[in-house]
Amino acid sequence: MAGSDQINVCESKKVVPLNTWILMSNFKLAYNLLRRPDGTFNRHLAEFLDRKVPANVNPVDGVFSFDIVIDRSTNLLSRIYRPAAPETEGGVPLSTSFNLLEKPVSKSDFVPVIIFFHGGSFAHSSANSAIYDILCRRLAGLCKAVVVSVNYRRAPEHPYPSAYDDGWTALEWVNSRPWLQSKDSKAHIFLAGDSSGGNIVHQVALRAVKSQICILGNILLNPMFGGQTRTESETRLDTKYFVTIQDRDWYWKAFLPEGEDRDHPACNPFGPRGISLEGVKFPKSLVVVAGLDLIQDWQLAYADGLKRAGQDVKLLFLEKATIGFYLLPNNDHFHIVMDEISNFLVRSRATTTITTATTNYCCFGSMCFWIARKCKKMKLVFCC
Amino acid sequence: MGPTPYNSSNSSSSACSSSTKPPPPQPPDQMDHLLAGAGYKVRSNDLTQVAERLEHLETVMVKSSPVDISDIGNDAVYYNPTDLASWVDSLLTELNPNGSGSGSGSGSGFVSGSGPAYVSDPVMNDMNNVYGEFGQQVVTPIEEDVSIRLVHVLMTCAEAVQRGDLSLAGLLIDDLQGLLGRVNSGCGIGKVGSFFVDALSRRVVNSPQNGVVQVDLSAYENEILYHHYYEACPYLKFAHFTANQAILEAFDGQDCVHVIDFNLMQGLQWPALIQALALRPGGPPLLRLTGIGPPSLDGRDSLREIGLKLAELARSVNVRFAFRGVAATRLDDVKPWMLQVSPKEAVAVNSIMQLHKLLGPGGPRGPPVDLVLDWIRDLNPRILMVVEQESNHNQPEFLDRFTESLYYYSTMFDSLDACTAQPEKTLAELYIQREICNVVCCEGSARVERHEPLVRWRERLTGAGFAPLHLGSNAFKQARMLLTLFSAEGYSVEENEGCLTLGWHSRPLIAASAWQAIPKPSVVTTGR
Repeated sequence: MAGSDQINVCESKKVVPLNTWILMSNFKLAYNLLRRPDGTFNRHLAEFLDRKVPANVNPVDGVFSFDIVIDRSTNLLSRIYRPAAPETEGGVPLSTSFNLLEKPVSKSDFVPVIIFFHGGSFAHSSANSAIYDILCRRLAGLCKAVVVSVNYRRAPEHPYPSAYDDGWTALEWVNSRPWLQSKDSKAHIFLAGDSSGGNIVHQVALRAVKSQICILGNILLNPMFGGQTRTESETRLDTKYFVTIQDRDWYWKAFLPEGEDRDHPACNPFGPRGISLEGVKFPKSLVVVAGLDLIQDWQLAYADGLKRAGQDVKLLFLEKATIGFYLLPNNDHFHIVMDEISNFLVRSRATTTITTATTNYCCFGSMCFWIARKCKKMKLVFCC
Repeated sequence: MGPTPYNSSNSSSSACSSSTKPPPPQPPDQMDHLLAGAGYKVRSNDLTQVAERLEHLETVMVKSSPVDISDIGNDAVYYNPTDLASWVDSLLTELNPNGSGSGSGSGSGFVSGSGPAYVSDPVMNDMNNVYGEFGQQVVTPIEEDVSIRLVHVLMTCAEAVQRGDLSLAGLLIDDLQGLLGRVNSGCGIGKVGSFFVDALSRRVVNSPQNGVVQVDLSAYENEILYHHYYEACPYLKFAHFTANQAILEAFDGQDCVHVIDFNLMQGLQWPALIQALALRPGGPPLLRLTGIGPPSLDGRDSLREIGLKLAELARSVNVRFAFRGVAATRLDDVKPWMLQVSPKEAVAVNSIMQLHKLLGPGGPRGPPVDLVLDWIRDLNPRILMVVEQESNHNQPEFLDRFTESLYYYSTMFDSLDACTAQPEKTLAELYIQREICNVVCCEGSARVERHEPLVRWRERLTGAGFAPLHLGSNAFKQARMLLTLFSAEGYSVEENEGCLTLGWHSRPLIAASAWQAIPKPSVVTTGR
């Protein structure tokens, strides 16, 4: 079907900058080589192709990073990003920052600690992948937060629930580090993730509900959810913007337990086998959905599921955004989302009582956008 | 769809549709800096062309079956994914063997293909699994505090040494000895910290200018330590393995081959190469091996002994073999004529952790490294294999060197913790300790462990007239598979622009790269 492929290619090229188009297309085509029809994954080639960067204890643009094994039994690695304190650490040579790596972040200031789960549909990428290293650096720098990027185990070698277990381990670890505490001698923990990372955020937050660990907020960027039925957005957008239904199905099959379908609650948390979150003390959520992401119906359903359960959720719907828009800072969506995340962290400082979610507005000063499509259940109105 | 005041063209300033302007032309070598941040080198001026190649690739892929696509993932060999243009072209070539060739990209490196099969290293096969369970380390909160203090005082002491305040340094060393007594010196910071405290105290007591910091070991003792370091961790094995792969490929189709080993030691690298050549389709070549090593002062001619052993192995597998030993204390003492290279033979120069020793102060004829690289180039080798420690231990300021080596060796010791076999582990630690001592205590020509990172070696080698030969996905995969022999999961192989690194977790510790000499322009008196 050469004709429709040409149309697909032209469509996606119109909505993203050229370098973004190259980056996303490269991933799309390279990943085709890695997913074998028999369900196995070409891990050697995947690791060969993945562009990685080392940690750097010397501040670069005001952020330094180092790697820690947070669980030796599974060799679970995390990369920690910290903003270099301007007066005391900035410009100080490497020699003294070595022993300041695990210095307490602050006694007086509120320093958010963001536990970040990178994307990759549960199968690709690592905490030290270049695209994620740079994203975490930006997050740490822009939000003045400590970012803990978790190198969770990936499918298909480590399917459900390995990634969730690793997420939980990271949460417990962060919660128990005295040096990650700041104001009021507490660790101010947020969970964030994109694609499969967003899915992990939800699951880890769910697990934390029954524990004493307090999570101040969840940030889900294009979170990976799905379900057995085919939705309208899936059909409409299939193959058009770097993603296909076929590859989504492959990744779910690789992650979910043998014999399970996509209505498994890990994939479809508010589906037929989902659990209600009504009355549950769940963190407030920021859900970012790209209007050109074919799984948006599932993401919108997720946000809706939270809302119907009386949870505090803010939905940020970016009509013209494709997947991966946040990987390069060359578009407005990137800056909007970074601002929104920054505000979300600040707003979530005080513990809030659960309020019923009201209509969500997105308004950013001089920049605004108008959502033409209305989600039936949510009545989202975005205006300026 | 309703009106969208949000103007998409604002965000896609360089989108390739007819309604927007093309990006302004950039200086020719300017890389797109955003793609560079993501790990890809694409010239800004080439973006459009690369995009077109990607579109073409997609069209071709759509026409191929998923099985075909996954087959090219399994079977083909790829090089340097950072060079996106070449990568796209190599995929196009795989999918379209009769179709369009590459329009862009350098495509440097070996001719892709499966290459000669690599035979597993008999030395490694014999090795028993020396790794036990990776035990949990329990660090009490008090110990954690002491560890942090230990590092803090180490740094303060190093600063004092740099300033020349040796009396303060001496006091701090006493402090450090005390702290060492309070941490678990069996692992972690206690272990590596003790080596650094030892090195600092040697430096303070015997200032480097006065000479003896560490007693020289006999060649025999050196060999013992080296051998146990080889057994206890995979760094040397990876170096040998990767080098042999590359040399094998470089020797493809050659009947007379000559390997020049810059540090023969016990010749541990060569049995595997000899075996692989023996099994080469079409039969083995005539193999000459020239091994360089220090002169034996104890009456043994160890070079000759190793040569004899290798000759015997070669004989047993029907490989015509000739060995020559060249005794030299330093590499820059070696003169090319000693190597007796014949113009008819294909030459491979093998330098495993040797080139950095040439970065010391130069003599009247210039920096030793430049001189040596120059005569290597004159030999016109088909491959120069370079493996080096991936760290900068050659910085001019003492404190910078101290800090960088503290990080580096901490990571290396961390990886060594996984080894439980004795005496391999202890002797391996002693081997590393001598390196640490040299980096920290010595100066001038005595300081030979002048490690520099891959980026610096790339500059140096390119400047000296060498072009990179890329190590590909095949070598990468084999190295990863090799590491599964080590049950300590934590070692990682990474691809870095055509080179391979081996590290512990995410920190690369050694880097392997391959090079080809660019023939010197001949002096032509006629013609142009």
